[in-house]
Amino acid sequence: MNIFKKIDIRWVATPVIILVSAFVTNAIIMLLCDYNPLQAYQAAVSGAFGNSRKFGETLVKSTPFLMAGLSIAMAFRCGIWNIGAEGQFLMGALAATWFGTKLAPLFPETPWIAVPVSLCIASLAGGIWGLIPAVLKVTRGVNEVISTIMLNYVAIHLVSMMIDGGPLQEVSQRGPQSDRIAEWVFLPRLFPPHRIHLGIVIAVVLAIVLTFILFRTAFGYQLRAVGEGAAAAEAAGISIMQNTLRVFFISGALAGLGGAIELTALTRRLYLNFSPGYGYTAIAVALLARLNPLVTVAAALLFGALTTGSYSMQRTVRISDKVTFVMQATILLFVIGYGSIQLFRKRASTTEN
Amino acid sequence: MAVHAFYPENPLILSILVQITMQENILELRNITKTFGDFVAVDNVDFELAAGEIHAILGENGAGKSTLMNLIYGLYQPSVGRIYVTDREGWRRRLRARSPRDAIAIGIGMVHQHFMLVENLTVAENIALSLGQSRAGAVGDTSEKDTHKKWLRKFRFKREDAIRITEELSEQFGLTVDPSALVRTLSVGLKQRVEILKALAVDARILILDEPTAVLSPQEVEGFFTILRKLQADGRAIIFISHKMKEVLSISDRITVLRRGKKVYLGATGELTARELAREMIGEEINEVERSGDTPLESKTSESVLELSNLTVLGSRDEIAVSDVSMATHRGEIVGIAGVDGNGQRELAEAVMGLRDTESGTISILGADPKGTKAVRQHGVGYIPEDRQTTGVIASFSVTENLLLNVTHLEKIAHWNVLNQKKKRQTTEELITDYDIRPPIGGTPAAALSGGNQQKIVLAREISLQPDLLIAVNPTRGLDVNAARYVHENLLAQRNAEKSVLLISTELDEVLLLSDQLFVMSRGKLIEATAQRNDIEALGLLMTGE
Repeated sequence: MNIFKKIDIRWVATPVIILVSAFVTNAIIMLLCDYNPLQAYQAAVSGAFGNSRKFGETLVKSTPFLMAGLSIAMAFRCGIWNIGAEGQFLMGALAATWFGTKLAPLFPETPWIAVPVSLCIASLAGGIWGLIPAVLKVTRGVNEVISTIMLNYVAIHLVSMMIDGGPLQEVSQRGPQSDRIAEWVFLPRLFPPHRIHLGIVIAVVLAIVLTFILFRTAFGYQLRAVGEGAAAAEAAGISIMQNTLRVFFISGALAGLGGAIELTALTRRLYLNFSPGYGYTAIAVALLARLNPLVTVAAALLFGALTTGSYSMQRTVRISDKVTFVMQATILLFVIGYGSIQLFRKRASTTEN
Repeated sequence: MAVHAFYPENPLILSILVQITMQENILELRNITKTFGDFVAVDNVDFELAAGEIHAILGENGAGKSTLMNLIYGLYQPSVGRIYVTDREGWRRRLRARSPRDAIAIGIGMVHQHFMLVENLTVAENIALSLGQSRAGAVGDTSEKDTHKKWLRKFRFKREDAIRITEELSEQFGLTVDPSALVRTLSVGLKQRVEILKALAVDARILILDEPTAVLSPQEVEGFFTILRKLQADGRAIIFISHKMKEVLSISDRITVLRRGKKVYLGATGELTARELAREMIGEEINEVERSGDTPLESKTSESVLELSNLTVLGSRDEIAVSDVSMATHRGEIVGIAGVDGNGQRELAEAVMGLRDTESGTISILGADPKGTKAVRQHGVGYIPEDRQTTGVIASFSVTENLLLNVTHLEKIAHWNVLNQKKKRQTTEELITDYDIRPPIGGTPAAALSGGNQQKIVLAREISLQPDLLIAVNPTRGLDVNAARYVHENLLAQRNAEKSVLLISTELDEVLLLSDQLFVMSRGKLIEATAQRNDIEALGLLMTGE
C-alpha cells in the first residue's frame, strides 16, 4: 500500500507529456515535408508491434539502448556525468572480438565457459575504460564530461586501428572488419529463426537487480547519497572517492557488456561504425526514464520501437530513416526542456520559502 | 517647522504637536497579506514607519519578518493590501514595486543578512555598481534631467569619481572604510559598512536591516549602533529585524512583534520587558533549559575523550585556519567554543571529523587516531554539522533515508549489505516519534520539512547512537526559541549520560549557558576562557582578538 502512495501522478504524466509533444512536433515536420503523419505513424506502429516477429525485432533493437541506458542511469543517479557509454560500449565489443577470434579458437566447442567468459572480459574492459576518467577525476579533479567525451574518440579510433590494418582485421584482409567470432562464443538465440537472444533476458534481469541494489542495499544507498548530496554523504562517513570509482566501473562495465551482447548475439564480427551512437542516444533513454533502471526498460523499448518503426515507415510511406534521429532528438529536447522547467519551478518554490 | 509659530512653551500643545509630527509616516503598510499557495506567510498586517525612527521587528523564524521586508523591497508583491511611501519630494504615493529597482528608486535600501557584494571588486567599485543600478542617478546629481547624459554615464566609469563619492559618504556618516580596498580582504563588520554605504549612495531614506548583528562581535555591535544613531539623527528611518531581545531593547524606538504571519504587538520600546516580549513572540512563556545535575567541575579528572595537541589545519585557500590548538574534552562535560564566524571553528570541527587534512599536530579520540571520517564515526563520534541544508541532510532524500545517513546506522540495519526493511522501518519510526519529527511520515522528502524539523532529523540520527563524543557546530542556528531549547536539552542529556560534547557556536549566550569548559576561538587560536565566563566584555575582547 505504501507503494501506491509513492506513485505521483506527475511521475506518469511527465513522460506522456514529453512523448506527445515530441510526436506532435514530428508530425508537423512530416507535414512540412509533404508526408502524411497519420499514415507514417500507423506504419511505424505496425512495423514495431505488428506481429510477434516484428515485436521480437523491436526487443532486439532495444537491447543496446537498454544496456547503455542502464549504464547512464547508474552514473547520472550517482552524480557522475558519464558521457562515455559510447566508448565503453565499443571497448566491450572490442574485448569480446579479441576473445572470440583469438582466444576462444584455442579451446574449441566450450560454449558453457566461452560465453560467460567473453561477457565477463567485455564488462571488465568497459569497466576499466570507465575507470580512466574516474582516476583522473579523483586524483586530478578532471571534469568527467570532458574526459569521457574525449575517450569516446580514443575508443572509436582504437577500434578502427585494430580492424583496419591492425591485429584484429579479418585474415582475408578484404575490408575494415574483424573475422567472425568462434561459433561457441555466440550468445544463444532463444527461438530460432527469430533473432530474440539471451542478451535481452540478461539486460532485463540486470535492470531489476540494479533497482534492488540502488534502493534496497547499503551499497546502493551510499551511491545515491553521494549523488544527491556529496557533502552530507562525506560527513556521514561515506567515501566520495571510493564511490566515484565504483560508479564509474559499474557504469563502464554495463556499457561494455552491452557492446559484447550486441556483438556475440547479432553482428558476430566487429566493423567500422559498429555503434550508431548507442551511447549518446542512451542519455535520452535514461533521462526519459528519470534515471530509474526499471523504467529504463520501457524507455529503451520505445527507442527500439522507433528504430524498427522507422524501417517500416521508410518502406511504406518512403520517409527517410533519418526521421528516427529527428524523433530521438526531439524527445531528448523535450526531456531536457521539461527538466529545466522543473528545476526552475523547484528554485522558485525554494526561494519563496 | 510650524511647531514654533504657536506657543512652544505650552507643554500640552507642544506634546500634541510632537505627536502629530511623529505620526508623519514615511512608510505605511495597510492590510498586507501574502500567500504562497495555501500558505499564508503574512496575514493582514498593518505597519508604519515614522521618519527618523528605528522600528524593530521581532519574531521567531518563519513568523513572516523576511517576507514582509521582501514585500517592501519589491522582491515580492502583496497578494492583498497596499503600501504607501512618502517620496523624496514629500508626496505620499502608493508603492507598486515590481522589483527592488522600483523600491531603490523611491528611497528604500536593504542590507541583507548575506551580503550582496562583489568580492573581487574594490569598495568604491561596489558602490559605483549600486549607483549604476539606481534610476535615481548619482549622489548630489539628482538635478540632472537629461536622460541621454544619464544613459551615457552608465557606460562611463571613472574610478576617481567612485572613490570621491565613497570618501564623501563615509566622511558624512562616519563609516570609515578604505575606498580602494578589495572587498574580499575586509572583515565582516567592514563589509556590512560597505553594504550600508551602498544604500546611502542611492540616498535611501528607509533602511531595512535584516539581522545585521548576527555576524558581529559584541564590540562591533556597539560601533554599529553608534552608526545607526547617526543615521537616525540624519532623519533616516530604519527597520531593524532581529531576534536578539537585548539589542532590540537598546536601539529601537518602537517594536512590532510578528507571530505566524500576524502582527501581535506594536508599542514603544520599554513598554514591555524582554520576557513579556518573548511571550508575545512565541505565544507562551519560554523557559531556558535548567542545567540539571550541575556538578562542580570534577570532570577534569574523568577520562578524556578528545585530545588535540598542537593542531594546525589549513583552510580552503591554504591559509592557516587553525593554529597550534591544544585542548581536551572529558566525559560528563560540555566544552564550549565561542567566537565570531570564520575564525577557524569550521575547519577545527572538520579536521576532527576527518573531513579535512591536518597540517601538523595530533588528534586523539579515546586514545586512538582513526583515519578518515568512516573510522572516526565508527570510533563513536557524532557530528551535528554547521550547514544543515548541505551537510546535515540530503534534501531530496526522505526522512527515513536521512535518518540512516550515518555509516554506523547503515551497518546496523544491513545484513549482507541488504537493508532489512523491517528493521529500517522500526528504527526510523521510533526515532520519528522520540524526536517528534513533523510531519511524522517517513516518506516525506527532507526538503519539505522546516529547519527545526530538519535539525531534529540530524539530532535523532547522531544522538540515538549514544556517541562518546558529540561535535555540534552552531546547532541552533536559524531555529526558533522552542526548537533551540529542545537542542539544548539534548546536548545536556548527552553530558549527563557521561558522554563528551564539543559545542562550537557563534551564539555567545548558548555557549555560556551550556558549557562547563569555555574557550574562545579567534583567528585560528584557541584561548581558555572559563575564568572569564561572567565577564561579557572580556569575552568580547577575546573574540575580536584584542
